[in-house]
Amino acid sequence: MDRFLDYRELGAAPDGFIEYLVSGDCDLYNAPAFLKALMARLDSGERRLRLDCAGLRYLDSTGVGAIIKLLQTAKAKGGEIRFTGLSGTPRKVLTLCNVISLIKEDARDRR
Amino acid sequence: MTSFVVRKLIVDEHNELFDAQGMRYAEFPSEYGRIRDYAAAVLADCPEAFLEDGLLEQQLSEIIKNGIKHGNGSDPAKKLRVWFDLRKRARFIVEDEGEGFTNLDSWNDFYRRRQLALYRQDFDEFLELASYRGPKSGPDDGGNSLFAALDYWNGGMIYNAARNKVGVVRWFGSGR
Repeated sequence: MDRFLDYRELGAAPDGFIEYLVSGDCDLYNAPAFLKALMARLDSGERRLRLDCAGLRYLDSTGVGAIIKLLQTAKAKGGEIRFTGLSGTPRKVLTLCNVISLIKEDARDRR
Repeated sequence: MTSFVVRKLIVDEHNELFDAQGMRYAEFPSEYGRIRDYAAAVLADCPEAFLEDGLLEQQLSEIIKNGIKHGNGSDPAKKLRVWFDLRKRARFIVEDEGEGFTNLDSWNDFYRRRQLALYRQDFDEFLELASYRGPKSGPDDGGNSLFAALDYWNGGMIYNAARNKVGVVRWFGSGR
C-alpha cells in the first residue's frame, strides 16, 4: 500500500495565518519530516499556522506527538496553530488520547 | 457532578488475557520499516466491522511498534510474537524479547497527573504533560500511544510479570 504524507503551503489567509494542506498518512515514517518542516517555519519567525487536514487519512502516535510539539513550540513563541477538516480516524485518535482538547478548529469554508 | 476517573496499566501474569488457547499465531522479525505491514497482515481477514476505518490497524500498529522498537531495539534477529483472535471481538497477545516495560509504574504516575490536569481544565499544564518522555524515548517517539490504548482496548490491557508481553481486547457495538 502506498503510504504517503503530502503537506504543501498555500500561503497567507486574510486573517494572517499561513495555511497548509495536509493529506495522506501522518505516521511513524512520515511524521518526523513533517514536524521538521513546520518547526523550521516556526523557527523562521512565522507564528500562526493553520493545517487543513481534510485529506489526512491516518494519524498515529508519532503524528500526534508531532502535533503536540508544534502546539508547545507555537505557544512558547507566542504563536498559534489552528486546524480545519479533522475527521475520521485522525479525529478519533486525537480524541482517544485527549489531545483534541488542545486543538483549536476553524470552519473549513471560512476561506 | 463530574468525577475524576483515571485508568492504569496493570501487571497480572495469570490474567485470562494471556490464555492463548484457540488463538492464531504469527511471528515477525523486528524490522522497524515493516511495522504497519505486520499489523495489516494480522488483520488480513478481520471482519470489516472491527476495522473501524483503520482505527484497529492503527492501535495494533502501536503495540507492535512498542515491541519492535522499545522491546527488541529494532533488531531483525529478535522476534515479535503475536497471538490473535478476531471472532466476536478483537483480541491480541504481543510478546517481544526485550527487558520489559521497566518504567510502567512511573508511566502510571505521569498518566494520573496528566488526566488530573485535564479534569481541572488546566490546559497549560495538560499541554506540558501531553507526551510522556521516558528513559528510552527517542526524538521521534510520540509519547502518547498508551494514553489512547487504555481507552481503545475497552476489554482490558494487561502486562505480564516480565512486562514484555501485553494482552488486549476490544469489544464492538453490543457484543460486549
